[in-house]
Amino acid sequence: MTATLSPEMTMQELLQALPGAQRALFRLYHIGGCASCGFRPEETVAEVCARNEGLDPAEALTAVETACAEDAKMLIEPKEAAAALADGEARVLDIRTREEFDAVRIPHAQHFTQELLQTIMGEWPKDDLLVLVDHQGARGLDAAAYFAGHGFTNVRSLRGGIDAWSLEVDPALPRYTVE
Amino acid sequence: MSNDLEANIQAAIANPQNLGEMADADAVGTVGSADCGDMLRMWVKFKEEDGRRVIDKATFQTFGCQTAIAVASMATDLIRGKTAEEALAMSGQDLSAPLGPLPPMKIHCAQLVEGALKDALTPGGAPVAKEATSPTLFDQLNAPKTVKITLKS
Repeated sequence: MTATLSPEMTMQELLQALPGAQRALFRLYHIGGCASCGFRPEETVAEVCARNEGLDPAEALTAVETACAEDAKMLIEPKEAAAALADGEARVLDIRTREEFDAVRIPHAQHFTQELLQTIMGEWPKDDLLVLVDHQGARGLDAAAYFAGHGFTNVRSLRGGIDAWSLEVDPALPRYTVE
Repeated sequence: MSNDLEANIQAAIANPQNLGEMADADAVGTVGSADCGDMLRMWVKFKEEDGRRVIDKATFQTFGCQTAIAVASMATDLIRGKTAEEALAMSGQDLSAPLGPLPPMKIHCAQLVEGALKDALTPGGAPVAKEATSPTLFDQLNAPKTVKITLKS
């Protein structure tokens, strides 16, 4: 564990030091995924660990630090995703708004809804390649971590989102801006 | 989580019981908010049985964790045939008992179910207050509601 991390730091300080910490916490310990297992920004790492099966804070911080370094492994390159989709080996889940999805979408992508979430959790095979798509890659990793924390072993976030897909896979797919 | 608990949860969510809205419910209770991603709503229908007003059927919808789905599925079966008072006397631990003991990090899920049930069965009852938390990973699955899209030429 690096010197900048300590069990006494608040969760807000931890997230500032390691922006990927929340993803790691959920993947590793099922902490911070939804309001049921969430934490308050002013809680200390030690406090959150204490009410989550008495985790050892120092061990948890070391594990989170290591996991953050591996965030990049949850990304998938647009061309790699396109090849998997063409081979029928991937499901593409689009987490943008309905308006964005209706305007521009990757063929065969499914738009995320709360109803679909229940189907995904209950019926989709946990080891299938699941590719999460957002606009430009800002939310995809968090969304992928949510599914990883629920047991999906092959979930990835499309690097750069659908914007990168337009640039690198299908230039006919219009790029766009949102306000 | 223990393997038994994990297996019980997986079995429950693979075939959830009493899932969905009930159009002719006598009572509805909600905890949380769909907008913030963690919500559980329960519908309850009563019937008269041997001079007692008992729960005939209960259904639920939730956008919470899998454990919340599993507990709600079990709970809506457990409270069938009970009076409102009997159902209200059940704790989150009682409602999740068929799954097996929940680890501390999962007790919130059972409390979510307990809160929705109490909200439905307590006249004028307010939903269980939830403490504000930092934005969660689930929040990232919920894109902003309205956007103006401009295609680049």
